[in-house]
Amino acid sequence: MILKKRRLHNLFLGILIMSLLVTWMLAVFFIPPPGNVYAAQRETPSFALPAYEKIKLKNGLTVYLMEYHGVPLIYATAVFTAGAARDGGKSGLAYLTAEALFSGTKNHSKKQIEEKLEFLGANYYAYADLDTAGISMSFINTDQDKVLPLLKEVIQDAAFAPAEFEKRKKRLLLELVQAKEQPSLVLGPYYKKFIFGQHGYGNPLYGARTSVKKIRSIDARAFYEEHYRPEESALVLVGDFQTVEMKKKVQEYFSGWQGKGKEPPASAQTPLPFFAKPRILLVNKDDATETQFAFGGLGMPRSHPDYVAVQVVNTILGGRFTSWLNDALRIDASLTYGAGSYFDTFKTSGTFAINSFTRTESTIEAIDLARDVLSRLHTQGVDEGTLKDAKKYLIGQFPPLYETPGSLASLLAAMFIYDFDASYVNDFQKNVENVSVEKAKMVIAKHFPKENLQFVLIGKAAALRGQVIKYGELSEKDIESDGF
Amino acid sequence: MNRILTILLSAFLLMAAASPLHAMPAVADVQAYTLKNGMKVLVLEDHGIPNVTLQIFFKVGSRNEYPGITGLSHFLEHMMFNGAAKYGPKMFDRVLENAGGTSNAYTTENVTSYQDWVPKSALELIFEMEADRMGSLALDEKIVESERGVVLSEYTTGYENSDYELLEDQLRAVAYQAHPYRWPIIGYEADIRNWRRSDIKEYFDRYCAPNNAVAVVVGDVTLAQVKSLVVKYLEPLPARASPRPVHTREPEQRGEKRLLVHKDVSSPRILIAYHVPETGTADYYALDLLSSILSTGKSSRFYSTLISDKQLATEISTYMPQALDPTLFYVYAICADGVSVKTLEKAIFQEIDKVINRGVTENELRKAQNNVVASFYRSLETMSNKADLIGSYEIFFGGYQKLFAAPDVYKKVTTTDIKSAAAKYFRKANRTVGVLEKSEEK
Repeated sequence: MILKKRRLHNLFLGILIMSLLVTWMLAVFFIPPPGNVYAAQRETPSFALPAYEKIKLKNGLTVYLMEYHGVPLIYATAVFTAGAARDGGKSGLAYLTAEALFSGTKNHSKKQIEEKLEFLGANYYAYADLDTAGISMSFINTDQDKVLPLLKEVIQDAAFAPAEFEKRKKRLLLELVQAKEQPSLVLGPYYKKFIFGQHGYGNPLYGARTSVKKIRSIDARAFYEEHYRPEESALVLVGDFQTVEMKKKVQEYFSGWQGKGKEPPASAQTPLPFFAKPRILLVNKDDATETQFAFGGLGMPRSHPDYVAVQVVNTILGGRFTSWLNDALRIDASLTYGAGSYFDTFKTSGTFAINSFTRTESTIEAIDLARDVLSRLHTQGVDEGTLKDAKKYLIGQFPPLYETPGSLASLLAAMFIYDFDASYVNDFQKNVENVSVEKAKMVIAKHFPKENLQFVLIGKAAALRGQVIKYGELSEKDIESDGF
Repeated sequence: MNRILTILLSAFLLMAAASPLHAMPAVADVQAYTLKNGMKVLVLEDHGIPNVTLQIFFKVGSRNEYPGITGLSHFLEHMMFNGAAKYGPKMFDRVLENAGGTSNAYTTENVTSYQDWVPKSALELIFEMEADRMGSLALDEKIVESERGVVLSEYTTGYENSDYELLEDQLRAVAYQAHPYRWPIIGYEADIRNWRRSDIKEYFDRYCAPNNAVAVVVGDVTLAQVKSLVVKYLEPLPARASPRPVHTREPEQRGEKRLLVHKDVSSPRILIAYHVPETGTADYYALDLLSSILSTGKSSRFYSTLISDKQLATEISTYMPQALDPTLFYVYAICADGVSVKTLEKAIFQEIDKVINRGVTENELRKAQNNVVASFYRSLETMSNKADLIGSYEIFFGGYQKLFAAPDVYKKVTTTDIKSAAAKYFRKANRTVGVLEKSEEK
């Protein structure tokens, strides 16, 4: 469907896409002791997280239950610490493993699973991001006794049948080529790889062709056995049910799940990079008429205590339509349809990027302008008035982020992965309001890169090569070459 | 209608209070009234979160344009954010965002729609700002020029990043011989470069009138609050002469049409389009269910046969847009590695012929109907979606009430209805086939 919008829904498609699901990973701190019931705090009557219960089954599986009665639906999300950062040398393995869960079990073929769930109007998908893999479902509440047993099966009894695995692989191999035909889809993977290098966070979520070709269903089974373990996983249920009854069902279906393999070794990751000089990666696309670009550097992990303060400052720089970046590049200079900045946060690190796109001829003008805006943040900082406006924006736009049972399920899953609790939501307004000019100054210096910027451009290299060398040490790739 | 959730106490958190959540709306929950200037206002109270959505639909889109001003509806949509009498250039977004709100807008072939999403504290502000731009849009010459640059970037990035968009825009130009659905919503590049301020002004005066609009409010507000604000801000806007209806009708197609678009892609894309009636007609519901039977989910006919079993395609979808005039039913597919256009196309037509000759099963129909119900629930999860749906039903189906009746209407469709709709519209002479692939010439 073609619909012309005034602005992109998400300015940072390039950074985020290929994982539409990464966006749901938002979140922070303390895990309360199992079995407690947490009530929504209503000190600020404006917006609070609905009550939920968190329990731990005897096999170690953490379960979150939240009643939500607005629509007669139930959302179920199971999250595993089995993301692409653990792909090892086999990029694409975490993703293919997650997808294989729906590709047949001991008792049901892939077709039977699909037919059963789809007959009920249920939605379901598997995903992998850098830190986690997971499956999500939504279904009508009256179908819970049909859906939950199937959910149990796909989590515990996936068959990893070679024939279905090879079919999915074959399609993925072509999808990887197709993605390169839409530069905005692959700017993110190129950027992450350029930033993280050999570190697991540089792994492309959907892999690269040479690697995917070599992955077999037995690799997926081994990855599953190593990383899908109840004590490292969470099951989240949000929807139109009664907690007491749902708890019994969860016990019945999921307490028998036992991890199959050995305790995984503490993951030994390559150290995080350090940038001693500015660098630029130019990805050539011969027929390009526009350049997609991102630049910045390392960001911060999701659990960083400055997370909220950084959001406030980033709102000013590039996090909303009237941000400095969009104002300079789009509104004043008419160089682009959109410009922004974004912190992508993971468990132990993250990236920061300024992102936009423009006609090939105006590439340098747009990048220089964006760089000037970033410099302005460092030299001028933000004043009291600007800060106040940005806070109001963040607070006003916060409730819609957690309006639906699906987004609440994602939030609870993120709480499990990134170790935080309801206070992130319930104290958000207070924490935003507490960000002072002084604090803003501190986070700018600490979290927004100033020098040794890292650039990735996708565009027509012949037209750009001579000019972009001024940004740093130049390396080049062709978009048609495998990988990122 | 609020459901009160009992919230338990914990050792740490002593506070407990009622947490009003969303509730399933019913038709009686929507309040409708028409202002003296002809503007229709629809209100749904929803106390799930302390926010509110205001969405204003104008009955104008690319179908109201003509060659020379193609794309003007969309450009006007951009200009609506660029200054009016009270809130000058840049002010609409600044004032709104600084009050905790945000906005967007979209243009289709049929409508232009403006969406404001704000905390409830900004309720009065959005009515004031909407009235300001509806009543006295500035259309500053300089800003017209700079916004032209923005839209040209949108034009480039759209085609550069979406093969589908490229192919659909080219296909419509072939499938339609006469109707304005034949040009792209964003317009032809030369038109974007050449329209003048006077064109925009004239277009604004004709179409952005209160009597050509529907406003929908969904959120943590009361009907009385909304009523007093619309009376204060929107009712004083003068009604204008009703725009002339679009009277062009697409003549019947007389034979299959084909087109080829060249782009350096890894494997060919196929887009097939059949002429079908406008939204809300009797056959619409049968075709919509057929669309679901063909392509919703992995157990759908197209997916299970062409992707899972025969492995001829990597992607296949069907789509029928909401439309005020007769429209197209699209089938879009991407060839799997090494599969020719001819092979995939033949396999698609075989599946379509099966429906025409043997119909669909009761089980398939039930599944599609179940999916309609589940989708209906999912679509009512956010204030924003509710506003968009209520307004869309008001405009495309002849009344917002139809939204709430929709699940029942779909339940009445039979397998016979689907078979006869397939036979009626999925004829060779009624279709256009577009292919996007690499050029063989170097």
